[in-house]
Amino acid sequence: MNGATWLSYSLQDFVMFGPEVFLRLFARINQDLWPWLLLWPLAGLVLPWFGRQAAELPRRLAMALAGLAWIGCGYLFLVRYYGPVNWPATGFGWAFVFQGLLLLLLKGRALPGPMAWPVVVSWWLAVFLLPWLSVLEMPDLWALALFGLAPGVTVASTVLLFAGQPLPLRWLLLVLPLAWSLFSAAIYWALGTFWLLGFPVATLVLLVVALRVNPSPAQNPGSQSVHPGPGRQSP
Amino acid sequence: MLELSRRRFLIGVGLSGLVMAFPRLLAATPSSSEQDFHVRPIPSTGESVPAIGMGTWITFNVGGDQYLIDERTRVLETFLARNGTVIDCSPMYGSAADVIGAGLEKLGAHDRIFAATKIWTSDGSETREQAATSEQRWGIERFDLLQVHNLLAWQEHLATLKEMKAEGRVRYIGITTSHGRRHRELARIMETEPLDFVQLTYNVLDREAEERLLPLARERGIAVIANRPFQGGSLFRRFQSEPLPSWAREAGVGNWAEFFLKFIISHPAVTCAIPATTRVEHMQENMGAMYGQLPDTSQRRMMAEYVRQL
Ligand SMILES: NC(=O)c1ccc[n+]([C@@H]2O[C@H](COP(=O)([O-])OP(=O)(O)OC[C@H]3O[C@@H](n4cnc5c(N)ncnc54)[C@H](OP(=O)(O)O)[C@@H]3O)[C@@H](O)[C@H]2O)c1
Repeated sequence: MNGATWLSYSLQDFVMFGPEVFLRLFARINQDLWPWLLLWPLAGLVLPWFGRQAAELPRRLAMALAGLAWIGCGYLFLVRYYGPVNWPATGFGWAFVFQGLLLLLLKGRALPGPMAWPVVVSWWLAVFLLPWLSVLEMPDLWALALFGLAPGVTVASTVLLFAGQPLPLRWLLLVLPLAWSLFSAAIYWALGTFWLLGFPVATLVLLVVALRVNPSPAQNPGSQSVHPGPGRQSP
Repeated sequence: MLELSRRRFLIGVGLSGLVMAFPRLLAATPSSSEQDFHVRPIPSTGESVPAIGMGTWITFNVGGDQYLIDERTRVLETFLARNGTVIDCSPMYGSAADVIGAGLEKLGAHDRIFAATKIWTSDGSETREQAATSEQRWGIERFDLLQVHNLLAWQEHLATLKEMKAEGRVRYIGITTSHGRRHRELARIMETEPLDFVQLTYNVLDREAEERLLPLARERGIAVIANRPFQGGSLFRRFQSEPLPSWAREAGVGNWAEFFLKFIISHPAVTCAIPATTRVEHMQENMGAMYGQLPDTSQRRMMAEYVRQL
């Protein structure tokens, strides 16, 4: 295709499903997984509690929970539910699973110090307020976008953990969240589901918050270690 | 898949001949019965198809959502009940083919449709394989019409489609484009290749096809499927809040859906328009365009002028 042909396409021409189909994905996955889905928000609730511990084992567990959340939302939401109506979602889904496995493999190393309070509060806000964005679009409690299942909430909250990583791991882990935010923002815009734009916007805001709380080693002359992070500020 | 019985063929040819020759004959009956609907002959055989078909892009791509599959089955049921047969799909449309298949299965309607899909792969050697996969998804033995989607690897696919037609693996072959893209190349293909069908965008605002492609289709005896008859829905968004012209009734138009669709199917080169919808009420409205009077040439001109000045 030449340039002129490409220019004749609009964003809408690339979206192959309607808003109702997309919004019902949240309700369908929640109904299908009931009551087990309650485990996911529970994991979202306790993760920072583990993450704040000085001992390494609970912090490993926090990272493992984040990994499981990425695998859950990658395989279940993206590959199984979203993929059949939007092919790129399948590719993203497997990439999410891969990133989740990476988080499991990194274990404690990926959460170098206890989570700082601003990060914990931001986390809880993300996990408990963002799910309502999908309900604002589709007024049905079943449509809650839950942490560990819905990619928007999972990505927005976990960037808080990724931003606390040493370089270059930090940026490696942030590639997929940023790519997903861009992709999903384009879809929400084309679908006209403007409340859902709150997910990518929240991801960026939380990333900025986390980066301010966890400056990179280059910006923070005090931290020489390869494991800088929130632990340095909140022992 | 529509089997062409001798009786059906004769009725079809006779009816379409009648409609073509005396378009106002059927329309003259104010309460036209469900039998009096507009059909058009496929020039290469004379077989008739109803002038309104059904598109499935976006609308039928609902994945594994059983509630929405049932809803789309009701849309399909309405389409069939109002005498629609031509259904257009493509492997590009996600799960749409599976949803059509589920609907046909539930309604037991495999033999009541004119099944049209596309070949959409840049690998020119995959024509047969992709057609077979689509047959499986629709639950049919063979397609009535296979079209090369958006001219993609068209030389290779068309060569195979010609073979398949000769073998009786498909009844008609064609090629598609949309949004007014690559019309010059399409014209060259129409001039040189033995096509039964061509599919292109034609609606009251997108009328580029009138210049070259529609006259060429008539000259070469190629059936024309008009896609994006509502410009992907934007015609409703732009005009639905406006009143219909005072002379709409005289042109056989009772609502905006009929306005847009009757404008298209009253063009002498157009065989069928394929609007897509997710809603039963909209399907009812759209199929309404297959009944009653059609605008004549001067009314068509007034229709185009009316939307232009809105
Ligand atoms: N290159 C190609 O081969 C190609 C390209 C484009 C399209 N096509 C084919 O052509 C078909 C039609 O084109 P399209 O689907 O792009 O667009 P379209 O049929 O012009 O418009 C579909 C839109 O119109 C709305 N609509 C339908 N009937 C309505 C009514 N009575 N009142 C109000 N709104 C109504 C539908 O919304 P609701 O769901 O709310 O009714 C839907 O959003 C496609 O489905 C596809 O099969 C082929």
